[in-house]
Amino acid sequence: MRGLQEVNNMVGIVSYGTYIPRYRIRLGDIAAAWKKQGDEVVSSLKVTEKSVPAADEDAVTIALEAALRALAASKGKPSDIEALFVGSESHPYAVNPTSTIVGELLGIGNNYLAADLEFACKAATAGMQAIAGLIASGQTRLGLAIGADTAQSKPHDVLEYTSAAAGAAYIMGEKKLIAELLAYTSYSSDTPDFWRRDGVQYPSHAGRFTGEPAYFAHVMGSATRLFEKTKTQPSDYQYCVFHMPNGRFPRDVARRLGFTEAQLAPSLIVDHIGNPYSASTLLGLAAVLDVALPRQKIFMVSYGSGAGSDGFVWETTKELGKRKDTVQDQIKNKTYIDYVQYLKQTHKI
Amino acid sequence: MLSPVKLWRNQKNVGGMLGRTGKIISWTIVRVPPADFSDQAPYPVVLVEFDGGGRVTAQLVDWDTKHLSVGQKIITIVRRIIKPNTEGVIPYGIKVKPL
Amino acid sequence: MTVSIIGASTTKFGELWGTSPRTLAHEAMDGALKDSGIVAGRIQALFVGNMLSGMLGGQEHLGAFFAEELGFSHAAAIKIEGACASGGLAIHAAVNGILSGQYETVAVLGVEKMTDHKPEDVATALMGAGSSQERASGCTFPGLYAILARAHMLKFGTTQEDMAAVAVKNHYHASLNPNAQFHRPITIEAVLKSHKVADPLTLLDCSPISDGAAALVLSVKHQASSVKIVASAVATDTLGLAQRASLTELQATKEAAMRAYKQAGIEAKDVDVAEVHDCFTIAEILALEDLGITKKGDAAGGIRRGEFTLGSAKRVVLNPSGGLKGCGHPIGATGVKQVVELVVQLRGMAGARQVAGARFGLAHNVGGSGATAVVHILKE
Repeated sequence: MRGLQEVNNMVGIVSYGTYIPRYRIRLGDIAAAWKKQGDEVVSSLKVTEKSVPAADEDAVTIALEAALRALAASKGKPSDIEALFVGSESHPYAVNPTSTIVGELLGIGNNYLAADLEFACKAATAGMQAIAGLIASGQTRLGLAIGADTAQSKPHDVLEYTSAAAGAAYIMGEKKLIAELLAYTSYSSDTPDFWRRDGVQYPSHAGRFTGEPAYFAHVMGSATRLFEKTKTQPSDYQYCVFHMPNGRFPRDVARRLGFTEAQLAPSLIVDHIGNPYSASTLLGLAAVLDVALPRQKIFMVSYGSGAGSDGFVWETTKELGKRKDTVQDQIKNKTYIDYVQYLKQTHKI
Repeated sequence: MLSPVKLWRNQKNVGGMLGRTGKIISWTIVRVPPADFSDQAPYPVVLVEFDGGGRVTAQLVDWDTKHLSVGQKIITIVRRIIKPNTEGVIPYGIKVKPL
Repeated sequence: MTVSIIGASTTKFGELWGTSPRTLAHEAMDGALKDSGIVAGRIQALFVGNMLSGMLGGQEHLGAFFAEELGFSHAAAIKIEGACASGGLAIHAAVNGILSGQYETVAVLGVEKMTDHKPEDVATALMGAGSSQERASGCTFPGLYAILARAHMLKFGTTQEDMAAVAVKNHYHASLNPNAQFHRPITIEAVLKSHKVADPLTLLDCSPISDGAAALVLSVKHQASSVKIVASAVATDTLGLAQRASLTELQATKEAAMRAYKQAGIEAKDVDVAEVHDCFTIAEILALEDLGITKKGDAAGGIRRGEFTLGSAKRVVLNPSGGLKGCGHPIGATGVKQVVELVVQLRGMAGARQVAGARFGLAHNVGGSGATAVVHILKE
């Protein structure tokens, strides 16, 4: 069947690393700047505050921080990395790869495949599937997939409440895996729910169209195929992770697919840091891996506008070791800024 | 516009300086910045002594007032050095943040 | 062989909007030539001290530029640059030109035009005096001295008030100098209240952006009454602060001073009047110590007690011209102006600023945060 891949050799996650900038702005403060009701915004989006990058951070520096942590956790050498894909909606250059700047700073050397990916919020998970294929084919032994964003949004637009910044990096391989990739699917269509034209600073979106025909159709499309392919159902999983554009959508889709609140809860980073676009799903996965035990199954479906969803089934192994710089550690390591400072740090003034 | 060749030659040294720990031995806060740094001011500049020897002058980021003290532990990270104009190559380099 | 100063003159220092570099040079050099009693045709070599003409004004090749402008037709001409020590270094080169035996009579011009440009651009250009690492860190020139100030404060208990006392003294001296940029005395309170430029340095801890020029005529041929240069010494240290052995002393100053005292056959205590490099108030405190005039850690107290101020001085008078702080700091001109002031003092012509009975004068000129130091000793 189209869209389904058979995993021949075992491929999975060797290590992971995440990075969340320390600055936060409360949604209430953004609302106040526009003379809106803070509690109304917070309750409708189910997000209280979002992460803001420092003025001198960008997708390159954030991708690098996450990758350094993934490398440190793997105890491997940078030169062992043979493929590096960076997915982002805020690559600093339209032409000039983020991946080679990061690769150079990591000290990978020259013998690797580097490419930048764009597919709204699912660019990095697409990168993971591509790397899985390279590893399964025997072409590559170790690959690094990174999702990093300093997401932009137009002031006074609804996206301003959730567009955030963070990075997540996954080293994938075939040996010493902390989580095995049991199956993956992808569901794609041409759906213009959210876009940004070349040379334009802020993205545009089609309002409520981003709901049912976009997010829900694709996440559920990919999820359904994944259940069929693996002949599983929600109760077979300990955890589920979905892309988190706000606090409502992942909760709704989890419920509609038949997952419980408990299965979803550890992944819900959106409540505290908002939506860091290409890092969203992968940060949710990291938050789960931070607390998971061996032999637990994780159901993960990302979403990128335009549109598509990548679905993954992971199973943790006994190699899951001690975790440093967990997602929760970083969520707690925060300092608040006001709206004016937010505008400065996101280069709007 | 910054020379891309000069940036390329100097950026090769940046990766090797990443992740080094040390402590602050003196500091200032620059409040009247030069042209390229105007969007970042006020910012602290610190003189750091690395564990294992060697010193560096670098901008301190992600800081609170309590971090501006001699003996404060720091680690080297990569950030954008300045905000480039719309045409130029972006310079990435070493800054330090409190540990 | 003795090198004598037969002519010395300086322009007013300040924000001289209507005055071009050519006019500044003429004013200073015409004055020096008149003072010397010789004509332009006798000048065999011109040594120009300047830092920013290229970076800010797009004009390099200042030796030929000013030789032409000043009518030194076909003379030898060289531009010398060492950041804020450019003027002192130009004098050093001129002295060596004579001591080498190649030239009998030479001219020195220190000149700088800074107010044509935006302060942010001047600040950027001044960072050229430091290391590339310091530039990448965004550390401005005041920032570098602020880092030194903090180290001195931590080690010796130097206070903001101690540093402010330097500014107060030098503004008082400047009020007696018609060529100075600033005319009114200031108070310690005013210094402390002015806005911070680079913590802990405030605006009034910093020398200003200025225009100005100063000129000297040096010769082997002299009158018995001419002021003589009895020492000219240069020393360097690392460009950047991160590579220095010490943050509480400028080794380049110590080295240059040691060499100068040896050349002149005198000691620090023999100096009656000194023009030292107070680009920032802390710099004068460091200078006093590194020149061996006081012990390390003792300078601040002495300055506060008025021991180096005109009228109350117990020892050498420091910066009777007002220093860089009070008289102004057109970068390339400063080192030359310092010597012009000493000449005036040693001739007994300093009027309200006169240091009575001055016999030995010392000029101390520093480049960057201490990477270059030039010390001249003059005898009346």
